[in-house]
Amino acid sequence: MNDLTAFTWMILLPLLAAPVIYLSGRLTKEQAGVARWVALLALVLTWIPFALAASDLSADGPQTYTLGQVALRLDDLGLLLAALSLGLGTLVVLYSGPYMAAESGQEKYYATLVANIGVVIGLGCATDLFNLWVWFEALAVSTYLLVAFYHEQPTSLEAGIKYLVQSAVGSALVLLGIALVLGQTGTLNLVEIREAAGADSAILLAAGALFTIGFGVKVALVPMHTWLPDAHSQAPSGISAMLSGVVIEAGLIALLRALSALARVEASWGELLMAFGAINMLVGNLMALRQTQVKRLLAYSSLSHIGYMLLGLGIALYSKELAGAQGSLFHMLNHGLMKGLAFLAAGGLLYALHTSMGDHSPLTIGDLAGAAQRYPLAALGLSIAVLGLGGLPPLAGFMSKWQIFVAGFETREGWIEALVVFAALNSVLSLGYYAPLVNAVYRQKPSEAVQKGQPMPALMNVPVVLLAVAVVAVGVWPALLRWLTGPAGEALLAAFGF
Amino acid sequence: MTTSEIVLVGVLALLGAGLYGLLITRNLIKVVIALQILVKGGLLALVAAGEASGQTNLGQSLAMTVIVADTVVAVVGLALAIQARRLLGTLDLKALSNLRG
Repeated sequence: MNDLTAFTWMILLPLLAAPVIYLSGRLTKEQAGVARWVALLALVLTWIPFALAASDLSADGPQTYTLGQVALRLDDLGLLLAALSLGLGTLVVLYSGPYMAAESGQEKYYATLVANIGVVIGLGCATDLFNLWVWFEALAVSTYLLVAFYHEQPTSLEAGIKYLVQSAVGSALVLLGIALVLGQTGTLNLVEIREAAGADSAILLAAGALFTIGFGVKVALVPMHTWLPDAHSQAPSGISAMLSGVVIEAGLIALLRALSALARVEASWGELLMAFGAINMLVGNLMALRQTQVKRLLAYSSLSHIGYMLLGLGIALYSKELAGAQGSLFHMLNHGLMKGLAFLAAGGLLYALHTSMGDHSPLTIGDLAGAAQRYPLAALGLSIAVLGLGGLPPLAGFMSKWQIFVAGFETREGWIEALVVFAALNSVLSLGYYAPLVNAVYRQKPSEAVQKGQPMPALMNVPVVLLAVAVVAVGVWPALLRWLTGPAGEALLAAFGF
Repeated sequence: MTTSEIVLVGVLALLGAGLYGLLITRNLIKVVIALQILVKGGLLALVAAGEASGQTNLGQSLAMTVIVADTVVAVVGLALAIQARRLLGTLDLKALSNLRG
């Protein structure tokens, strides 16, 4: 395998595997679960080109592969997204085995999920605006199908339709932005646009606004977030984990790539991201406080975590502070681990208490009461996840939030310091909805649902335990992920030409 | 009016029609149609941008790709509409707005 093909295989393998998974599931009995094993095998195999690509990248720098006029380039930012997507994706496929075992149409589920993982990896490698849009659209289509997977449930259908309409409007706006950039600069290559863009071009500024709104729908920037709580709470739990831990982050990377091309147009992208960050934190936390359904609560908490990431990125773009970008990308990985864990653990409980009995009603906080007595692993996993999300030391979430806050203070600007204090207060506020979950799970008498619940399949506990160990380990040794986040932060600033 | 001005007016008209359609209609099929009109505005803009920057072929090939991607979205949207009609017996979006808060 020569050095050019290592990372292209990392993209191709899941994409080529998707139809194979579909056919293998179609041609065999549904109960045999062939599709899920083929899916797992495909993802495990994808780790080989991932490892090769990672070693090539650290040895020789960014790799480029050109096909006709389209070039794919793997830099450290792309590698970080690939690691996140592949890592969480593999665990989700493992987890979905028992979770989806009773559903019909599993071959479609696994085929779409694996394609989705490949598309996210590809999106991280796009080098021109239009290519970025194509990956973005492919990502959107694969997630529409997954969100509306329970197509016999009116609520899932509603979530799918809301998501599709908002997302499609967003991508049409991005398209318009691309047309403006192409008309103005005559090129679509991200680096060439950055070189060609004039400082005060109103048209390119308009393109930047269109990108922010268009990609912002996928990132769930408030007020373009209204699809997110529905989609994340109605999708199958494994998909909720992917949507929250990978897909919105992929949207964020797409937004950053698009804005990086316009880095010279207007110097205030950093302020823009910080402003959206502050709104996202506040709205996400306030909305989460009044939720009674666990998955909906976790979905709103994703909004606030996107806010923390945007704050770090904004600081990085504003002050060219590397620590802000690294902290933010570190938080992106940690959020993937923690929110993945939270959704998988909550999903496990949802499965045991409701879904396994053919009941599609949502998991409420009341249902969770006393769950630790019958489901100790899932309860512990959920508790570790939400306490980590709330930013309690020594868990992963604390470390990355801390790094973002430190980067903010290092700018020595009053208003950024005020923003960091605001973010820290938000983080405390978030404990107002995380702590009751832990309280319910451990300190209350078992609810009726818990007493009547089915046992949780052992295989479902494996990803929960692995993620819980990862959240604690990263919290204790934050340097574990530095090989990914360090160079990725540098790659991000380099993309903006700093 | 020059050609580029006519195209610009066309782009804005399509975008306006698409957005207006999305705002006023509650019928799922019409929503999909409005989305299509919206994207057609973007499509025309791409072709015009390719023309303006002296890369007619590029603009047109981008437009072809958009048509494919856009059709996939329309197919998924219509599939969801069919399913909604089957489950609820109506295409009215009002019947599909139970998720709140």
